[in-house]
Amino acid sequence: MSFKSIDPQDLVISTDSITATIWSNNNPTLINYFTSSVQVATNTGQYYYSVYQTASTDSTAAVQFNVAYCDLLGSGSEFYNNAVTGSSPTRTNYGQYRTLILGDENAGFIFGNYSASYFYALNIERARYKEKLFPGTMTMYLSGSSGKISLTDDSKVAASITFKDAGRVFNLVSGSAGTVFTGTNTNGWAGGANSTSGSYGWFLPDVGLILLNAQALSSSIALGGIGLLTSRSFDTADNNPARIVDSLKIAGANNFGWTLNSEETLSSDFIFVRARNGEFNYSENPSFISGSTGAVLYNSFINNPTTYITTVGLYNQTNELVAVAKLSRPLPKDFTKELLVRVKLDF
Amino acid sequence: MGYLNNQVVTIDAILTKKGRELLAKGDGSFTITQFALSDDEIDYTLYNPSHPSGSAYYGEAIENMPLLEAFPDETQIMKYKLTTLPRGTAVMPIISLGQSNISLRQTAATSITPQTLNYLSGNNTFEPSGYTFTISDVRLFSNFTATGVNTAAATALNTNSTSTNGTNVSKTVIGTTLTMTATGVNTLFGSNNTLYATLIVVGRDSGARVQIPVTISKTSTSV
Repeated sequence: MSFKSIDPQDLVISTDSITATIWSNNNPTLINYFTSSVQVATNTGQYYYSVYQTASTDSTAAVQFNVAYCDLLGSGSEFYNNAVTGSSPTRTNYGQYRTLILGDENAGFIFGNYSASYFYALNIERARYKEKLFPGTMTMYLSGSSGKISLTDDSKVAASITFKDAGRVFNLVSGSAGTVFTGTNTNGWAGGANSTSGSYGWFLPDVGLILLNAQALSSSIALGGIGLLTSRSFDTADNNPARIVDSLKIAGANNFGWTLNSEETLSSDFIFVRARNGEFNYSENPSFISGSTGAVLYNSFINNPTTYITTVGLYNQTNELVAVAKLSRPLPKDFTKELLVRVKLDF
Repeated sequence: MGYLNNQVVTIDAILTKKGRELLAKGDGSFTITQFALSDDEIDYTLYNPSHPSGSAYYGEAIENMPLLEAFPDETQIMKYKLTTLPRGTAVMPIISLGQSNISLRQTAATSITPQTLNYLSGNNTFEPSGYTFTISDVRLFSNFTATGVNTAAATALNTNSTSTNGTNVSKTVIGTTLTMTATGVNTLFGSNNTLYATLIVVGRDSGARVQIPVTISKTSTSV
């Protein structure tokens, strides 16, 4: 017999959380930001800008994230039709993210204590974050005319987790790697507890999304902002996403980049393969026999055969090979040896 | 006094092409229920029972060899399985097909009834549990069925055994006699006049294995 049934107790299913940096080439911090003039000039450029880690014409270029400007009034972009005031790509963006995150057309985005009618959405490319963003790992530097700030999420200090239609929601606050800055603003939000502009935005790890509160960023450095100018002209393409990209670029040029990790749940099967002393001691390997008669190669193999295990095959009930594992070196097996191998199969 | 090695050997497995196919089907056929061990890559002529340093060194040339990574092609790995046989076995079971290769023209059919030599004290024996027949590319056959074994596993495999799903995947059936009919589809040939595959026959009781090439020749009249 070549096949041996696996005891149900020898098959264990385990789930582990795997974390990794989200940027290409396992780069922990992104400091270079490039847009594509081709993408910006196309129809999609009216809705969002794609950001690459290198020049978009480079063979290794890959989209890292996209920046969209969202405006309830439709400001900042040209109207689809002059006969319909306010209907524009930025208005479409606002509605899209409202449906996705809030799931209620009557609800509004409230960042801390501030009800925002316009904001920036930074959605991370799915191939980068895999399953979800890892809360408590982000440090994002933004620079503007008023200075530089670093943002993180408040997952490590939040008393409870807020859930919306898009899953968990954390506030973006001043700090780094989940450590909230408590210097002048005790709650870490722009402008402190009495802020009129609210938090810096939301961190939505389950959908790979970061919302930046444009109003908070427009504040002066004294009030926690960077003086980011967001233009809200009617029926005019203001190219606001470029302002966020520029803000990241300026910070990155001084080696203040954007650090963020992903989190992935990996399910594994652990199968314990047990070969008892009297099992698997003969081989169908052509070199195990001599000639065409089937006689074993050496006379010593008749009573004391030695085989060498190199491969473990996992089969279904109908003898179909569904998974296979190789050992790093051959393991000897004879009538005096037993073997226990743990095979890990990831999904 | 030293420490005993209490570590369990841990290895990572990969899915085979067949495993991915069954996982994608989602019909429960992926479930792992059994295992087998093989000694692929081992050349037993390197085993030296005359080693001057003694029995501890007989397998020296084998035990230190580096091994290749696993192949995802289920027909190219687990070729030579280790088997459980009574101690004192002097000759290993061998499968006889009566032919060393199979050549078919399009739409032609043939049958194979394997026998096992040196098994259960018989010269020529049909194994009670039958044989598994694996063809490396099921697209090449309009019919690939086995008969003679009526177990649940055999029935499950033999059902839909004639269907091809358009992809280059292997197909396994169980029985004592295999019947196969070469495809009549011309488009599989492309600019070639011949298609190739391999047929693997494994004794389900003895573990004996044989592999032979299969050749399909194009005929101009087939559609």
